[in-house]
This record gives sequence, structure tokens and C-alpha cells, in this order.
Amino acid sequence: MKTEIVENGSQVIAKFSGRLDTAAAVQTAEDVKPLLEAANKEIILDCTALEYISSSGLRIFLSIRKEAAAHGSKVIVRNINADIRQVFMMTGFISLFVIE
Amino acid sequence: MMDLHCEMIMEEYREAKPVLERMLVEIPALLRDKLAKNGIIVTAVDARIKTEESLKGKLELKGNKYASLSDITDIFGARIITFYTDDVDRIAAMVEQLFEIDWDNSVDKRMLHQLDSFGYNSLHYICRMPEFPYRFELQLRTTLQHAWASINHDIGYKTGVEIPREYLRRINRLSGILEMADDEFSRIRSEITDYRRRVQQLVQKGKLDDVLLDGDTFNSYLQARPFDSLNKRIAAINQAEIQEVPLMRYLRVFVAFGCKTLGDVQRLVKQYSEAAYRLARHQLGNTDLDIISSAVGVQNICVVCILATGGGKMGLVRFFDAINGHNTQNEAIAEMTFNLAKSIQL
Repeated sequence: MKTEIVENGSQVIAKFSGRLDTAAAVQTAEDVKPLLEAANKEIILDCTALEYISSSGLRIFLSIRKEAAAHGSKVIVRNINADIRQVFMMTGFISLFVIE
Repeated sequence: MMDLHCEMIMEEYREAKPVLERMLVEIPALLRDKLAKNGIIVTAVDARIKTEESLKGKLELKGNKYASLSDITDIFGARIITFYTDDVDRIAAMVEQLFEIDWDNSVDKRMLHQLDSFGYNSLHYICRMPEFPYRFELQLRTTLQHAWASINHDIGYKTGVEIPREYLRRINRLSGILEMADDEFSRIRSEITDYRRRVQQLVQKGKLDDVLLDGDTFNSYLQARPFDSLNKRIAAINQAEIQEVPLMRYLRVFVAFGCKTLGDVQRLVKQYSEAAYRLARHQLGNTDLDIISSAVGVQNICVVCILATGGGKMGLVRFFDAINGHNTQNEAIAEMTFNLAKSIQL
């Protein structure tokens, strides 16, 4: 699992690749800390190369969204695959994020 | 030209500047703090120190009236502008406890008008705080009274030309209209508060058919947590934790379903809860997802309701557009949900 953070003007983009499972969640939570510090910007979670997300991964996404909401900014989840889309749908979190 | 006496008052004013500057910081801060503690939201809390030029003008006109600077009650002024007339009286009560009021010099301009006259409406208190040697004027007025007073001041004084009686009459007539508008705003607020109380009582008593469906009533309905038992059943599938999320966006979905009252909503919830649970069990049962949102119950109720009433795939797209905002992803989500529901014969 790899996380790359890129700042782009008023946006900050996190590019995830691999499987965001329970084992990877601890490191990913650490990797996304710069996102929480930049929560006043629009946050893009680029999931183009993300293959899988577990509950632990969802919790990371939720913590990012919570921090962004506290700063009045939004979180966009971009390019999720069908399996991840289904996870968002069946847990009822789909309407919590802007999914593109 | 000012005489020696007035020059002495001006000198006193210059020496008092540091104290007045402290008042300028501390008094508005104290007022804002007390307003917040009393839960009163206002348009503005302003304060100002009388300018040297303005004081000079005052002294030139009636300088002999004042023995010293402390006789001038508006050397420092604060103003609270409220939304509602009721709040002027509430804040007045708060101010009376906060400061020592010089009743002989305070005046309620609202009470000065004859039955058939209109014009400037504000409550002026002359206050004192033990910490400061100078009294100050505190004006309380509504936003509409403030608008009238500001425009009246602009028209009446800025031009420096005396206004013909006809125009003054028209300005004062407007004050009467704004007084009516102020009263109406206060009445509307009181009636909305009563309405919300009545709705909450009806929801608590379960008389949902008597409550029309709208933003206020749906909010009251949600406070009774109508989806809790379904969400808990769904959470039990994987021993999941439930994360609270806002549900107000489902109002438009229930309206689109043709619900007119909270009773209609409740009947849908009852009718489709079991199928909604089956959908969730089928989806979550094969996963180890142990976190769900509090929207999962109502989301699944809506999905099964759409499918049961023949809404099909397009109905699901419209539903996801309503809760997620219009988005190209919604078609894929609808397609996936439709196929899943078909496979378990919902």
C-alpha cells in the first residue's frame, strides 16, 4: 500500500495505490497526517490505483472528512472501483463524500 | 469659539483618552460575552469614543451645561442592534443587571411618541461601570430601527439643509411601516417556536398523521430516532459500530415518494424495514465491514421502496441524485444496487 500527498494550489491530493486493509491502515493513517494539517483546502482522495478498502481504511477516510468539515472544506473521492463503490454504498457512507 | 471652561473640558477629554480606549475594548467584549451566555443572537455590537471634533461642536453649542467631562453622558457610546423587538427588552433586562443605570438620564424613545406620531425608536440607557469614571450611553434598537435611524440621519443631517415638512412626514411614515414589520417579525418568530413545540409534542405522542411533512417536522421526527432499531439490527450483522451522519437530505426523497405527513413516512418505514434489513444482511453478511453509518437503514428503506413501487433503475438513479447530488457515478451505483436487489428478489 502506498500513499502519495501532492499539494496543488487550493487543493491537496492524496493518491492511494494498493490494498488499504487492516494491516496497511496504521501506516496509511500516518501517511495522511499532512492532509489533516491541510484540511482548510479542498481534499481529493484519488483512488484510481486503490484496489480494496477495509473498515480501517473507511475510518481513515472518515477522519479526513471530519477534519475537513471542521474547516468548512470538502473531500472528493475520485475514481473508485466497483468494489470500493459497493463498500461505500452498503455501509451508508456514499452520501457523506463527494464521489467523482 | 470656545471659552476657557470648554477648553478645560477638552483638555480633560485628551487626558481621559487611555481610559476611554480601555472602555472601547472592555465594554463591547463584556456585552458580547453576556449576549452569548444568554443565547441572544444580535446583528451587531458597536462602540465608539466621541471624536474631538464632535465634542468640540457640542461644547460650542452648550458647553456651559457641563461642569466637567464626566457630566457628558455620550463621551463613550455603545450600541446593540437586534433582530427582533422582543430581544431589545430581553437585552435591556440583561443590561440593567450588568451596569448601574442612571435612570434620570435614560430614555426609552419608543415610549415618547404620541399615539399618532412615529419616528426615532430606540432605548437609550446611561450606564456606569465601577471600573470606569465615566458614564456611557448604550443604545438598543432593532435592525429595522437602525436602518431607519441611519437613513434619517443621512438625509436630515448630512446635507446640512433643513428638510421640508412634507419629506419629514414621509420619512416618519416609513418609521411606522418598519414598526409594523418589526412587530410582525417578532410575531412570526413566536408562532414558529410554538409550532415547533406543538410538532414535538405530536411526535412524542405518536400522532404522526396530524403532522404535515416539512423541514421542521422532519427534523423533529429524526430527533425521535425512527431508524435506530433498524440500524442496530443491521449493525448486529457484523457487530459494527454506527457512525452518526446527517439525514435531513432524505426529506426530499420522502416528499418525492408522495408522503404528505409524518404518518405517511412512518408507514413506509414500517412497511419496508424488513426488506431493508434483508438487503443489508445480503450486502454486509459476506464482508467483515464493522463500521456503518446511521444512514444505512433509511437508505435501504428508500431503495426497497423504489424497487417495490416499480421505480426501477431510473428511480434509483434519481434517488442517488437526490441524496448524493447529481453525479455520473450515481448511474453505476444504481446499476449495482438494482442488480443486487434483483438477485435476492426484493
